[in-house]
Amino acid sequence: MNDETLLNERIEVITVFGEGLNPCRPIRFRRPNGREIEVTEIGLRHPTVQGKRTIHIFDVTNGGADYRLEFDSERLTWHLTREADHYE
Amino acid sequence: MNSDYNTERPLVMHIDLNSCFATVEQQARPLLRGRPIAIVNRRTENTAIITASYEAKKYGVKVGMRFKEAKLLVPDIIVIETDPAKYRFVYHKMMDMMKTYSSHVTMKSIDEGVIDFKHATEQVRSRDLRDIGMEIKQRMRDEIGVAMRCNVGISTNRFLAKTAAGLHKPDGLDIITHENLRATLATMKLTDLTGIAKQNEHRLNAVGIDTPLQFLDTSVEILHKMVFKSICGDEWYQRLRGYEVDDRVFDLKTVGRQYVLESPHLSSEKIQQRLHHLSESVGAKLRSQNKVARGVLVYAKTYERKYWHARRMCEMPFFSNQAIYAQASQLFAAAPAHIREIGVSCYELGDDIDPQLNLFGDRIASEKKLVQAMDELNGRYGDRTIHVADTLGTGAYVKQKIPFGSTRYL
Repeated sequence: MNDETLLNERIEVITVFGEGLNPCRPIRFRRPNGREIEVTEIGLRHPTVQGKRTIHIFDVTNGGADYRLEFDSERLTWHLTREADHYE
Repeated sequence: MNSDYNTERPLVMHIDLNSCFATVEQQARPLLRGRPIAIVNRRTENTAIITASYEAKKYGVKVGMRFKEAKLLVPDIIVIETDPAKYRFVYHKMMDMMKTYSSHVTMKSIDEGVIDFKHATEQVRSRDLRDIGMEIKQRMRDEIGVAMRCNVGISTNRFLAKTAAGLHKPDGLDIITHENLRATLATMKLTDLTGIAKQNEHRLNAVGIDTPLQFLDTSVEILHKMVFKSICGDEWYQRLRGYEVDDRVFDLKTVGRQYVLESPHLSSEKIQQRLHHLSESVGAKLRSQNKVARGVLVYAKTYERKYWHARRMCEMPFFSNQAIYAQASQLFAAAPAHIREIGVSCYELGDDIDPQLNLFGDRIASEKKLVQAMDELNGRYGDRTIHVADTLGTGAYVKQKIPFGSTRYL
């Protein structure tokens, strides 16, 4: 099946702003429990809108699980909203 | 044998994302790559699969199959719920990319589109379209992600370009010209042709047409008078020969929404609330197209596989959620028991009305102002920020899903 956990954790994120396909690249984040996760690949970045607020969704992985990070471009906050380590 | 095929240079390109939603999920979530996955609207055993990855298709998983059936074929299949915002993003990226080649781009659905190079600049037209096709494939990988794949088909009209795009999946690129048309059709069945499903196949079989090649060799008179008994016969004659008959835009005729109930044990009050939610959704879609309606249709499908519907036409056009629900609710009072699926649609659509031209202008104008204010609030703060209290608990069930078949709401 699919071991998917929906979350709403405020997280701290180290981000690189540069060029290329993903000009904004989260490279490492820390969860409220203190666990730090290194992003090894950004699968897809897409924007969604909540009214007139733009939220950027980053689907990323550390090689062991897939994570969904949400960056609120108005409030400048990051949230971890899903963890999925499918699959066995 | 007829041979009046279109011999012009093929300038129509059809681009089709392979197993679109599954591919986009595999792009977004790298650990899903290479695994059998199924995309569903709701994660239940009875839900229908709307897309499967090629790894799942390899084991016989098909679109439309129930999830529990797919699990029998592939026990470790991974089920993912749809994420429309993600697919919409890829759709817009794909459309923007296509528009860099020609101003005449038509998106046929959320995962396929057509570039008509007849309207492209001389500089673009002077290039080999095969090279442009390969370039688009590469740009998909560079500008969206490495897991993205698409099929490209090139021909003289939309129909043959789509046919070409379906020849070698996934990641194919094929061209159909007057020279290889017969050889290509010789490898296909009638139902492989877009637009020929069971009913049309029976029509063709009835006059002894069993293969696409026989279809191609049939005279326009027989197609018109004996097979389709309408202008459709003439159009098929042209279409099969590579002449364009499908470059047209259809007017919006109905706006609707349906919902498969999440449980067979819902009370009639709860079913009515879901009907109310659908009516709100239909109202928003109607107004987003600047339309008003004069008819409402409601339907229900039961667990006994019975279909029931009721409709009503009004003299006065309407546009508000309240007006739609008032009529849908009255009609629905006669619905049968054991309902599995419900739907609401508006028909007899017209352009938005000027209240000043109407005898009841004041009432319409004030209703319009209220509806506009509500739409503006929802536009500013997000969908369903403001809605009737009756649908307060329905949002978790009746979620916004992918609009198939039309790109109007993307």
